Amino acid sequence: MESKKMPNAVLNPLKFRAAVFDTINSENTGFSNYSYWRSTIRTFFKNKAVVVLVALVFAMIVMSIFYPIFSDVDPTAVSLFPLDWNLRPSAEHWFGTDTLGRDIWARAWYGCRNSSLLGFCIALSDVGFGMIAGALWGYNKKLDPFMIELYNIMTNIPSTVYLVLLAYIMNTSFLTLFISMASRGWIVEARFFRNRILSLRDSEYNIASKCLGTPMRRIATRNIIPHIVSLIIMEAALCIPYSIGSEVFMGFVGVGMPVDAITLGNIVNQGRASFTLHPYQMLLPTVILCIITVAFYVIGNKFADASDPRNHV
Amino acid sequence: MEQIKNGHASPLILSAKDVEVKFNLRGKTLTAVRGASLDLYEGETLAIVGESGCGKSVFTKSFIGMLDKNGSVTGGEILYRGEDLTKYKTEAEWLRVRGKKIAMVFQDPMTSLNPVRTIGEQITEVITWHFGTEHEEAKREAIEILKRVGIADAETRYKQYPNEFSGGMRQRVVIATAIACRPEILICDEPTTALDVTVQAQILRLIKELQKELKMTVVYITHDLGVVANVADWVGVMYAGQIIEYGTVREIFKQPAHPYTKALLQSLPQLGVKGHELYSIKGTPPSLFKEIHGDAFAPRNPEAMEIDFEQEPPKFQVSDTHWAKTWLLHPYAEEYRKEIEAAEAAHWAEHAEPAEPFDYGAHAEKLLQVKNLTVKFKLAGKEFRAVDNVNFDIYKGETLSLVGESGSGKTTIGRAIMRIYNSNVDGSILYKDRPITGRLDRDKVKHLHMEMQMIFQDPMASLNERAKVDYIISEGLYNYHLFDNEEDRLRKVEEIMQEVGLSKDFSSRFPHEFSGGQRQRIGIARSLVMNPDFIVADEPISALDVSIRAQVINLLNKLKRERGLTYLFIAHDLSVVRFISDRIAVINKGRIVELAACEELFRRPLHPYTKALLSAVPYPDPDLERGKELLVYDRAMHNYKDDAPIWTEIMPGHFILANEAELAIYREELQA
Repeated sequence: MESKKMPNAVLNPLKFRAAVFDTINSENTGFSNYSYWRSTIRTFFKNKAVVVLVALVFAMIVMSIFYPIFSDVDPTAVSLFPLDWNLRPSAEHWFGTDTLGRDIWARAWYGCRNSSLLGFCIALSDVGFGMIAGALWGYNKKLDPFMIELYNIMTNIPSTVYLVLLAYIMNTSFLTLFISMASRGWIVEARFFRNRILSLRDSEYNIASKCLGTPMRRIATRNIIPHIVSLIIMEAALCIPYSIGSEVFMGFVGVGMPVDAITLGNIVNQGRASFTLHPYQMLLPTVILCIITVAFYVIGNKFADASDPRNHV
Repeated sequence: MEQIKNGHASPLILSAKDVEVKFNLRGKTLTAVRGASLDLYEGETLAIVGESGCGKSVFTKSFIGMLDKNGSVTGGEILYRGEDLTKYKTEAEWLRVRGKKIAMVFQDPMTSLNPVRTIGEQITEVITWHFGTEHEEAKREAIEILKRVGIADAETRYKQYPNEFSGGMRQRVVIATAIACRPEILICDEPTTALDVTVQAQILRLIKELQKELKMTVVYITHDLGVVANVADWVGVMYAGQIIEYGTVREIFKQPAHPYTKALLQSLPQLGVKGHELYSIKGTPPSLFKEIHGDAFAPRNPEAMEIDFEQEPPKFQVSDTHWAKTWLLHPYAEEYRKEIEAAEAAHWAEHAEPAEPFDYGAHAEKLLQVKNLTVKFKLAGKEFRAVDNVNFDIYKGETLSLVGESGSGKTTIGRAIMRIYNSNVDGSILYKDRPITGRLDRDKVKHLHMEMQMIFQDPMASLNERAKVDYIISEGLYNYHLFDNEEDRLRKVEEIMQEVGLSKDFSSRFPHEFSGGQRQRIGIARSLVMNPDFIVADEPISALDVSIRAQVINLLNKLKRERGLTYLFIAHDLSVVRFISDRIAVINKGRIVELAACEELFRRPLHPYTKALLSAVPYPDPDLERGKELLVYDRAMHNYKDDAPIWTEIMPGHFILANEAELAIYREELQA
């Protein structure tokens, strides 16, 4: 009564006896060697655009760090000869000179360095303070009414009004700009992290830790932070282009960094003043600004996608 | 049809031959279905049983072209009324069959309904889409169908959104959309897994009635052998992407031929003998990423033969209606088969007597006393009582089971005892005669953490994914510095891992590398390392596969014997807890309605809710299941307006929540 799908091989009757049972082997079956970080990185770099943008950002960071160190061109060197002013791009001045005869190529990299530094500082403080505040907020229900009100007030005042006002009160400087932007950005991050931590807080493994009497400090470092590292990276990446954009805007409105400071905002602003006559002066700083903004934005978003285990296919 | 009819009374409707389905997953190929064959005949009910990951869902989804994007049918054929469905390429072709001829009901009713459209629109849409019926006409039809699936006041309900329905009602709506086109085949993929037992029984009854009325062929996909016994005429057992045994429901349950089917049935706690080890299947199902040689079950089968590792067994007919893919049925293996059968019979004869019940005599010592426990939560500004005035004691060394449906407050009681909630707990909980609610000093908290521990339901959620097993198990040790030095700690971790049956090499791995059963054992090891006396086990087996459950149940029983543990076992399935508990408390809507010794409760249930629960729980025996009468419990049957219920000991050891009038009736019942 056997079915027709009988194998052709001749069967050995001796094989029909008990085999040795391997206990360890039986336990060893259904493993997967899935690793969260490996899969995240692989999914992230699968996207060609991401590879290009990461390379671009990396190159720009290298340039803005090393150009000021190795180049002997002084970006503040003002020429007294009108012949050196507003030069068109040439072999000597790759992107020409501005209205005071300063080399735009050099200025752009100094500016990129300063603006990026500001961006990184703000990202660091926003995400850092935001995370701490968010953790306290998420873990402490009593803070809820107060924090929600604070959030509403701070986010409902238009950011420009607030930034301009603060910049007026204090003297324009790197620190002023930093304070005015950082004093406000953390609350948005705090709310974001609060929501994430709230959903992690009541998960079963945290209740298990509570049953074992794990102190708060270890719950935070072992149970919470490792689960939100990818979010921290993403938020920081999204924070940088926003900060740089704000700096440019402040410079544009005239309450940014002091005029003699070299930042992307100031360079773009100066280029704008002579745009009708010498449009090339705005070209390089604008291109750098665009690349930074777009690149960080895309990288942040793609990283958020890649860090979601559902996309690890 | 030329096919020999093999006990089937009606013509063949769908025939799947050697279907192979492959998925591309993270650069690797997963063969989810490895040459599964199946015949479906008109009007029959077939159940496909298997553990998670065995390919049962994927197999049936390939009938309607609903595989995920990264998967495809790479071999075999699926003949539906003579047409090969695997040749279908475009959606348009599939739409002629999908929903219209073959419809599907999914596990989770919330995800298969569109939350932003009324349920009426969703059913009407199906009808107009497939038949081009006028809107008004389709609407009338939709209301008829809603009435048919047991939705009262269908005209009003027609205009409501899915979130206005309860889980069971939503599943009825999903069934309504599925049968709207009068399909010939209805595939139900775990239709009741997400539902409570009492609702589950009603849904199964509804599907049965509809099947008779519409003369449909119904395919159930399930892991619950109790459900199979209840509904199926024919059963196909699936393992590692193949149907390995097929026969009538009685043949599968009474004379299983494949070692896997046998092992699966023997490992059911419902069929175990109390006080003895359950038969447990070792290990975990094979990874389908790798190529499988021979019989896929062989590495987990202690009685496997050498040939099982070398060649894949063909189909062997056991009877006209029953076949299995195992070498045991080959004439060469006859001697060996008789040997195994004799050994099995001897084993059963030896283990026939159940153990003595727990002694509640004078020596019994109360370990935990719960008095008037009430837990309140605030929900959308309204206060509601998750646990309402609950009283019970737990004696040292016993297993008390707390059984109830989802939302009954059983987990809340467990967590209140574990001091997870702070301010919203009223009443008193005494552990070793000392109160443990409210604020306690540090030392006392430390003692409680070392004496009371908890095991969690979901082995996926209860382990920290980003920590190594070594850290997870020693977390408690770190907290109270319960080790002398690093060596001592490692030795303690090793000992515990050995005790729960895990290799010590596993300690440097991350939780995601383990299967559900292994993860659950890691969770048990984590709480055992504190050397507790009392453990709250919150549904420790309900998220596990059938073949894995027995491992965990045996482990819990072994630990109880060896360490003298006391358990509060929280569960939703009465028939499972019968095997492990000494006493059972039944909880409904935050109140314990009945509490009695295990056998007493099964022999003489008094409260109508207990009776309803007992009648609804599917039992894995087709003969018992068929003759069962379904009782429905409605809280409105109590008249508690003037005569409030009190928690009464109606007989020594048998407690019940009832008022004076009801008590009189129950006493009469006891005397009869």
